[in-house]
Amino acid sequence: MSTETTNENRSDMIVCENVDKWFGDFQALKGVSATIAEQEVVVVLGPSGSGKSTWIRCINRLEAHQQGTIIVDGVELTNDLRNIEKIRSEVGMVFQQFNLFPHISVLDNVTLAPKWVRKMPKAAAEKKAEELLEMVGIPEQAAKYPGQLSGGQQQRVAIARALAMEPRIMLFDEPTSALDPEMIKEVLDVMKDLAHGGMTMMVVTHEMGFAREVADRIIFMESGEIVESGTPEHFFTNPTEDRTKLFLSQIL
Amino acid sequence: MSTDTEVQPSNYHHQKPPFYRDATVVKWLFQVGALALVVFALWFLSSQARDNLSARNISTGFDFLSIDPGINLSEGIDTRPATGGRALWVGMVNTIRLATAGIFFATVIGLFIGLARLSNNWVVNKLGSVFVETLRNIPLLVQILLYGAILANLGDLQFDSGWDNWVIWSNKGLSVPRVFIADGFYQWAVFMCIGALAARWMYNQRSGLHDKTGENTHPGLGSFAVLTIFGIVGWFIHPIFGWVGNIFGAISDGISKVPEEVLQLVLSAVAISIAANWIRGFLASRRTPGGSARLTDDDKFRIIFAGVGSVLAILVVFVVWPGLSSWIINSSSDLFEVLENKFGDGRTGGPFGVDRPEVVKPGKFEKYGPSGLTMSLGFAAVFFGIVLYTAAFIAEIVRGGILAVPKGQIEAANSLGMKRSTALRTVILPQALRVIMPPLGNQYLNLTKNTSLAIAVGFSDLVQVGQTVGNQTGKNLSVFAIWMLFYLACSLTISVAVNFFNVRLRIVER
Repeated sequence: MSTETTNENRSDMIVCENVDKWFGDFQALKGVSATIAEQEVVVVLGPSGSGKSTWIRCINRLEAHQQGTIIVDGVELTNDLRNIEKIRSEVGMVFQQFNLFPHISVLDNVTLAPKWVRKMPKAAAEKKAEELLEMVGIPEQAAKYPGQLSGGQQQRVAIARALAMEPRIMLFDEPTSALDPEMIKEVLDVMKDLAHGGMTMMVVTHEMGFAREVADRIIFMESGEIVESGTPEHFFTNPTEDRTKLFLSQIL
Repeated sequence: MSTDTEVQPSNYHHQKPPFYRDATVVKWLFQVGALALVVFALWFLSSQARDNLSARNISTGFDFLSIDPGINLSEGIDTRPATGGRALWVGMVNTIRLATAGIFFATVIGLFIGLARLSNNWVVNKLGSVFVETLRNIPLLVQILLYGAILANLGDLQFDSGWDNWVIWSNKGLSVPRVFIADGFYQWAVFMCIGALAARWMYNQRSGLHDKTGENTHPGLGSFAVLTIFGIVGWFIHPIFGWVGNIFGAISDGISKVPEEVLQLVLSAVAISIAANWIRGFLASRRTPGGSARLTDDDKFRIIFAGVGSVLAILVVFVVWPGLSSWIINSSSDLFEVLENKFGDGRTGGPFGVDRPEVVKPGKFEKYGPSGLTMSLGFAAVFFGIVLYTAAFIAEIVRGGILAVPKGQIEAANSLGMKRSTALRTVILPQALRVIMPPLGNQYLNLTKNTSLAIAVGFSDLVQVGQTVGNQTGKNLSVFAIWMLFYLACSLTISVAVNFFNVRLRIVER
């Protein structure tokens, strides 16, 4: 572990201390500790099976960690259902497989949670949804169903759906891995806009260009542990750990 | 002469294949040929059957429907039917009663057991598993006989059987209080129709307010309250609607004055307009943004068929069945006359009444009579059999349907902060229903057909009555035909209802 770049002026949004997670006998996370500040963009890299996805799924408790502490926006994740719902409504998540609701229209996908969870009036929720669809570049698709859209369009709807809850943190779990190459850019562009707008983001991805350009910090994981953490320049040009060097030599 | 042998692209395009290689012609030839083959086979088989039957002196025909069969039925709307047709009708009503009650209770129980098997609660989960694994692995006939035997071992009917004339159980069956439609019901129903309109207005008003302010305005609760108020007030002042009967009377008189020829013309006009509408819609569907697409031979065939169909309908109305229009006039006039008689003076009682079961003398109580709703021993045995047996299958269908919703959908709903109940209602169930509906419809069909096992415990369903009538009259073949037509009609009705929901639940794909 080296060069922490936490900005002292900003408050901590996510604090993980010695987080352990087992799937049966297999230990997926081994003492993961990290602090992510407000408005920070963190990209998590690592070979497949290294625990990246498990870690960010623990942060909104899609997976329950078994030991250690996770504090999100000042609320600790325990078995308290009210805390879990509160954190989930403040943490947006974008999945590799989009997971849009196929039985309702794009507009309904975006307005569903604001209406039922935030108790937003229908008209206001729809106005907000139209603004978000405009922002992700597909305002004309609102009346269509998810099955009628391309993969890139679906993923942008998924981002709009998460943003409709006005989250303070956005988690991205390999958002471009299921997309055709020509659609990756349109999704990454939306994510870049979001990062420049000051959103706190945690991104699991294999897009090295995105990591180099947008990330404030890169965390490299292997075998459930954080191996190295640092700025993109440090990570790509001057990594300290041997395992990081090996990973970079394989993918670059 | 190389220029002559060159293939001209435009000529080549317009070359028609010989008719035996033309896909459209071949398709239609095969369809017409298959139909002709089936008709011929049916004609051949039926004429053979007729010859053989007459050679053996087995008579067919439906005369017995209007002749006294001289039988008593154990239960039903008429236990001493005057004609064979009436006897079969009693059997049909009994079957429909059994099937309707069975479908309702099997669905409710199946839904709960299915959800129980998905529960994280160990006890609930295992109880559900035991229910399913036991009941679906014992043959239905065995179960019906078992329940019949258990019920037959209840005590004899005494004046003090059961619980204070609210619920009575004995080896004659089970009896509970009966709610019936009393003489004020129809006047009260007018009140409730107005109440429904008011409740609808209330609902729209409240949900409009919710959309504007975002506050929880409880539209469902508000409209329910309105309906309840109308129901209670209407209970006491419904006689003010006694005059509504006059309107129905006027409608009845008006209909009876319509001349037969006018209705025939109207029916013809309806047939023509349906065909014309269909053709117009069909042509519109063949229109592309660039103009009308060229009609294929197939399309022309369809248009001609629609036209021929409407002409056939007109022929039926005027020539084949000229009595149809007078029948329609008479029966709709009668219908409104029946409604007229449901209103008027003297109908001052409540809309509903309740009768408690009453033991007239030990060993006997009234069946479907004025006192209490009685489940006879036979009905109860078949009812518990088909309900529990089908519920086990429905439970598995419900469980499978919910498990078929991808895990990602639940994670997406969770990650948006939805409560479990909200996610279940808005995300999981709508998608699960799409998977559940088709096999659920199959279970409804199975249940309806399985009611024919009632013969094992002597319940007077259509099959049992039909067999008795057949034995008495010797017209077994005719009874078979009626059985098949009846079950076919039931099955088609259920299929149509289920398909209606299937279409509504379909997910739009590209």
